Amino acid sequence: MIQFDYPELDETLYQEILPNGLTVAVVPRRGFARSTAYFVTGYGSIHNQFRLEGERYQAPAGVAHYLEHKMFELPGDRDVTAEFAALGASVNAFTSYDMTAYYFTCTQAFDQCLRLLLEFVSTPYFTQESVDRERGIIDQEIGMNLDAPDSVIFDNLMAALYENHPIRIPILGTRESIREITPEILSLCHRAFYSPGNMLLCVIGDVNPKSVAEIARQVLGDEKRPVGERETAWQEVMTPVEAETVCAMEVAMPTFSMAFKCESTGAGSEAIRREMVADLAAEALFGESSELYLWLYEQGLIDSSFGGGFETLEGCAMLCVSGDSNDPRAVREAILQEGERLSQEGISQEEFLRMKRSALGRRIRGLDSMDGTCFRICAYHFSGFDYFRFPEIYRDIRREEIQEFLGRVVRRERCAISIIYPLDGEERQ
Amino acid sequence: MIETHSLLPGVTLRCCRDPRFKQGCLSIQLVRPMAAQEAAMNALLPTVLLRGTTRHPDLRGITMALDDLYGAAVSPLVRRVGDYQTTGLYCGFMDQRFTLPGDRVLEPLADFLQELLFCSPLEGGGFREDFVESEKRNLISSIDCELNDKQTYAMGQLLKRMCREDSFGLPRLGEKEQVTAIDPVGLYRHYQKILLESPIEMFYVGSAPGEEVAALLKPLFDLPGREPAPLAPQTDLRPSPAGEYTETMEVSQGKLCLGFTTPITNRREEFAAMQLLNIIYGGGMTSKLFMNLREKQSLCYSVGSNYYGSKGIVTVSAGIDCGKREQAQQEILRQLELCRQGAFTQEELNAAKQALISSLRATHDSPGAIEGYYATATLSSLGLTPEAYIQAVSAVTAPQAARAAETLKLHTAYFLSERTTPHDPI
Repeated sequence: MIQFDYPELDETLYQEILPNGLTVAVVPRRGFARSTAYFVTGYGSIHNQFRLEGERYQAPAGVAHYLEHKMFELPGDRDVTAEFAALGASVNAFTSYDMTAYYFTCTQAFDQCLRLLLEFVSTPYFTQESVDRERGIIDQEIGMNLDAPDSVIFDNLMAALYENHPIRIPILGTRESIREITPEILSLCHRAFYSPGNMLLCVIGDVNPKSVAEIARQVLGDEKRPVGERETAWQEVMTPVEAETVCAMEVAMPTFSMAFKCESTGAGSEAIRREMVADLAAEALFGESSELYLWLYEQGLIDSSFGGGFETLEGCAMLCVSGDSNDPRAVREAILQEGERLSQEGISQEEFLRMKRSALGRRIRGLDSMDGTCFRICAYHFSGFDYFRFPEIYRDIRREEIQEFLGRVVRRERCAISIIYPLDGEERQ
Repeated sequence: MIETHSLLPGVTLRCCRDPRFKQGCLSIQLVRPMAAQEAAMNALLPTVLLRGTTRHPDLRGITMALDDLYGAAVSPLVRRVGDYQTTGLYCGFMDQRFTLPGDRVLEPLADFLQELLFCSPLEGGGFREDFVESEKRNLISSIDCELNDKQTYAMGQLLKRMCREDSFGLPRLGEKEQVTAIDPVGLYRHYQKILLESPIEMFYVGSAPGEEVAALLKPLFDLPGREPAPLAPQTDLRPSPAGEYTETMEVSQGKLCLGFTTPITNRREEFAAMQLLNIIYGGGMTSKLFMNLREKQSLCYSVGSNYYGSKGIVTVSAGIDCGKREQAQQEILRQLELCRQGAFTQEELNAAKQALISSLRATHDSPGAIEGYYATATLSSLGLTPEAYIQAVSAVTAPQAARAAETLKLHTAYFLSERTTPHDPI
């Protein structure tokens, strides 16, 4: 294994690519009781079009998430969750737009837990009966999201922003699309994207890095298997489909989420640099130490729920901000005006340095969270970057870059807003 | 592991020195009885303190000061622990070893806390009116926004109805009407009063030695005229009449909440058995409720139970299809009946033990978890360290867990259902 030291962060990372193509990354944390392991595929809800062994496929929306649910069953009526529980560990999983992650945390029996994790994620087993049963559960999950304002407002915003990029479709799919999912489709997607060459195993805890790699090799074997080629050439212009999308729900006060479309950041360390520039620009524009935040807060246009940042995903990127407000459109106008002002006047060197110091400090503090750190290592891995290199990227950023970003991005023609208003008072008794 | 420093009468600092972390935390809590007449004021107070000081007169000034301290964060801390409510501040900050040479974090942070607590800009014998009014609006909107998360909302409604006669039925942040009634002078007077009479608990986790932290924080509450009065001990639930309630709303999924009472609180020996029973019954993805209502019968996506040890309450909540309420409730009760009969396997009991022990072991893995465990345990009279708690959990037998289940009595049912009358789309 290769050892990378990051003395500035007091971290060490061990990494190896196994003969089967799997990347293993281990961050030892001596003296901690808890260990956590993430076994992750670079496959999420946006990867429904792909090629495998010469064939071209189009899978129904929601299949990555459905597959995640179904991985927890093994042949012979084995229940993965119960097996982890018997080892004193807890296991869970999530599906995002571009990743599916399976993870456990434990305070004992780490090796056994790791074997079980690797085994169940690499064992496809789908019967018609269990796939049908799962539909009821996912139906309820979709229902829950339809009642959750945060999730509705975001899905509406994505549909307003993007014309072709599949981020416009909810991660869970729809009640209709999940009806098309069959055991055969699940097997196909598993074969395409759960090959070791498309996956990362990331472990943090008081563990021996070499033994982690050795266990992975034993369980998964040395064979290299084909990986599905994701078709990701989605054409997007920088103008949203709709500038506004509005609906009414059971909420206490109006709530909004808005975004400015940005050029995709690409991959590698240049991409991360662009992301960090955009994060600092977001901070300068509407962060808690910005003039705009103070003004909006003192005007009563926002409250402490207000906040945002830069979001990036294969093929798309956006500057987002959301919160509760009695006048979401006034918030949008204020942001547009302030964006214009900052793109002309820029920010002072003193402010810029303070922001960088604060952003760096917050990222260092964030490293204490094993889950957060695992998640970031995985997410950055799939965009081709070593997360622990963030301090050097920060050092390198100049303040003119912030100004340039704001001038380019914070423009009315790039903006869409999604608003949820309360159902009117009369109907709410 | 935890050092306790009595800094002054009624002012306690607990320190956990631990060099493993990249961040430290410090909490300051004024401990109050949970009471309708002051709950809203206690909830509002820290948000007003965080609006500005004489030296940093607005939110922006406050944030810039924290940015200079490597992005330290200070946030309002308002907790409910059984019959108590705490009000104060919680800080998270980067550890000293990552600063540029010559920079300090903890000392300037302590100075800044002193400023936040004691240098509020005043007018007419009270806090600034604009600060108080805008924070009142924010607090009211956070109270209103509990409606947005239907699960939380439904659980709040259940507890409110179930504990009408007990302090536990009071919402943690107070009622809207009480927030509206607050005025800047009254709030300032209340603050002066509670500064002089409340027990104060501070908790530090980080790399600095306890004596250093104690020396740094001792002057904070050395106030002339301070005479802290001890709090009345925690009490068991004072029951109110049982009931069954349904509320309708524009939702596509129903939320069923059931509340059970038990004489077992965290001050009793059977506490560990009750915790385990709760896990077997509805805590997590291997519990009876999850396995049966969700996995076997596809009745719901979410289902689980919760044990409030400070009061002796167990709640169950499930997100269900509105038409399946009867079926779901019957199944929830049937699973409890099975627990009472001791119909769980040794594996289920062991898994529950492992889960609880594992989470207790992990307490020492994060500053926030350490602070959360000890700061709450001390106040709720749970006199156990995580290590002693682990011992108690290990010793529980299956019949003891079943006996804990036998003590549970269904008290209140609350159902949030879809509205059946159609209404016009907007």
